Amino acid sequence: MLQIENTLFTIVMLIYFAAMILYFAFIAARKEGLARAAVALQCAGFALHTAALVCRGIGAGRLPLTNQYEFATSFAWGLCLVSLAFIFWYKFTVLGAFAAPVIFLIIGYAAMQSKAVHELMPALRSNWLGFHVSTAIIAYGAFGVSFVLSIIFLLRDRMKARGFLDSHIPNREKLDAISYRSVSLGLLFLTFTIVTGAIWAERAWGSYWSWDPKETWSLVTWIVYAAYLHLRIRRGWQGRAAAIFAAVGFVCVMFTYVGVNTFLPGIHSYA
Amino acid sequence: MRFAIILLVVLALACSVGSLVTQGQSYAWYAQRYSERTAALILALHLDDAFHSWWFILINAFLCVNLLLCNLLRLPSLIARTRAEADPRAILAGKGAVSVENVAAPEPVFQRLRMPKPAEAETEDGTPALVSSKNRAGLWGAWVCHLGILLLIVGFSLGQMTQKQYAVYGVPGQTRPVGDTGCAVSIDDFDIGLRADDTVEQYTARITVLGPDGQSESAEISVNNPARLFGMKFYQNSTGWAATVRVTEGGEPLQEEILCAGEYLQVADKPDLVIDFNAFYPDYVQRAGAMPETASGQLNNPGYLYSVYYQEQMIGMNVLMAGETLTIDDYAVTFSEPQPYTMIQIKEDHFTGVALAGGLVTMLGLLLAFYVQPARVWAIRQEDGRWTLRGESRKGGAIFRDQFLRAAGVKDGENIAEKEE
Ligand code: HEM
Repeated sequence: MLQIENTLFTIVMLIYFAAMILYFAFIAARKEGLARAAVALQCAGFALHTAALVCRGIGAGRLPLTNQYEFATSFAWGLCLVSLAFIFWYKFTVLGAFAAPVIFLIIGYAAMQSKAVHELMPALRSNWLGFHVSTAIIAYGAFGVSFVLSIIFLLRDRMKARGFLDSHIPNREKLDAISYRSVSLGLLFLTFTIVTGAIWAERAWGSYWSWDPKETWSLVTWIVYAAYLHLRIRRGWQGRAAAIFAAVGFVCVMFTYVGVNTFLPGIHSYA
Repeated sequence: MRFAIILLVVLALACSVGSLVTQGQSYAWYAQRYSERTAALILALHLDDAFHSWWFILINAFLCVNLLLCNLLRLPSLIARTRAEADPRAILAGKGAVSVENVAAPEPVFQRLRMPKPAEAETEDGTPALVSSKNRAGLWGAWVCHLGILLLIVGFSLGQMTQKQYAVYGVPGQTRPVGDTGCAVSIDDFDIGLRADDTVEQYTARITVLGPDGQSESAEISVNNPARLFGMKFYQNSTGWAATVRVTEGGEPLQEEILCAGEYLQVADKPDLVIDFNAFYPDYVQRAGAMPETASGQLNNPGYLYSVYYQEQMIGMNVLMAGETLTIDDYAVTFSEPQPYTMIQIKEDHFTGVALAGGLVTMLGLLLAFYVQPARVWAIRQEDGRWTLRGESRKGGAIFRDQFLRAAGVKDGENIAEKEE
């Protein structure tokens, strides 16, 4: 099973790469057919990626969500899922072109991690771990999409080529509204993540909140996005300022995810 | 609102500072890590214990007061708005965020927008109208969310102030008191479940807790499966090694105690003489110039690191292997029968439930705020018998307008491009 997973993972990486190239070609050549092919390829990649995760789950005999490699590949999967959902829901193909490089970067990061399957230490053997990490994947995926939307928003403001933009990128107001949708999806799931994590910590360690750096940084992320919500309600702060705030939020997400493990020690170091 | 945003940003900064400065260290530690001046600054600003410092508590207090006032002040207008949201007269008085004229049949548009079946009404001047409103609960999202956060902070703070924590450790057969509670834990059994590859699958302890009045309750606890007994929660926390230490004097047995690594014994008839059991190595190896180590978790070559103190002066430290004897004057000391001990953590926090409720209420509030979007759609009959349709969704914004226009049959994009610039 793990062998199959390994092969699938490589194929998935290649497909995501090809989808990214097709998206770029679409933007360069402005041919609708390329866009449709890119989205189709991203869907195919997503299906195989799902199969790869299932194989790993069967091979390891548990949810594939417990070490750096598994979380990184799942993170890429979550971002792919949420970006596809937004592409279809809001008929917004260009989103794929900006999401694809981020997905490729994250799955590339996953490829650099050790793929060894380890048995779980007792504290990790909990159903709450499954809830905790799977909600985190959706949250991170949604924040990734909001980051991509912020970049599109900020670029859109600077670009001059109006014709193509107006037909393929929603106007500022709608971009802002879609970005708000992705942040709210992310914030809701981040709240699930923090609450399920606290319930699990309470059962495993007897303390539901201990200011461990990873906990603290997920709280910082949560607060930054809460500030984004309030900022948006104030007149005149929608749009540019909100987009910058959402991008800062994603920097916090990435710091919580990679930075904390690297720079700050704590009980989360294993994951 | 501006104050709320400033508070949130300040709180985020405070949390990140608290996580970037290693917490709970001494002046010497910080001085070595950074510099003496930085160390002095860290201590002066309580950055070594940021999350319990006066300024962190102050920020949170401000947050709570703000949330509370905000929720109280907004309550009357929120109730009024909730009433108005479904009141035909109030709805018909509005202009709507979006409107489409000359619609022949309004009912299908209501359906396409998934609005409830519209009710018949009349405008002030008696023109027939249809009104429909949904998801009023969504108006309460922010309010419920703020209430949840308030509960969360209050529950957490009260818990921090009143909680009690104890730890007991021992081997099966031992009974240990639980702090000053009058209860005692008797460890009936302790098992380390190993997988085929020697990694630990689970630590399981069977305990009986003896209450102050002689009652007792038993439970099995393992990692991730604590038990609640006598209002306290018992957690299987960790493990370590214990051993039996025997002391003889002139060949006669004097003393026998089970010590966990880290504990010491005072020789019974010479309390100035102390044997400290520092550490245990089940598979002892000593490489030249290195600290003692264990090669595996198996009991292949048990070694006991001890130190001996006389009148508080250390007079010796070494590793004693199984079967070896340490001789001090007339006394002979042996270590044997190594066995794992269990450390059980005991916690009493009556406010965990409040904090949990706060977390759940916060989630509910966010769900309401984001996914239960209030919307009103109404139709007013024109003189020609066709209808003017209007819609309003405070939160739906541009996306609601799009859906509305699509449902009313206006082509995608037509109204969108012209709105820009
Ligand atoms: C100092 C503390 C805070 C104050 C004074 C405050 C105040 C407000 C106010 C006045 C609104 C507008 C309500 C409305 O439009 O119905 C609001 C909305 C909201 N607040 Fe807060 N807030 C605070 C902290 C928080 C925090 C920490 C969160 C956590 C996520 C939060 C979540 C929300 C949400 C979800 C909304 C609705 C936003 C939306 O629908 O877009 N608030 N807040």
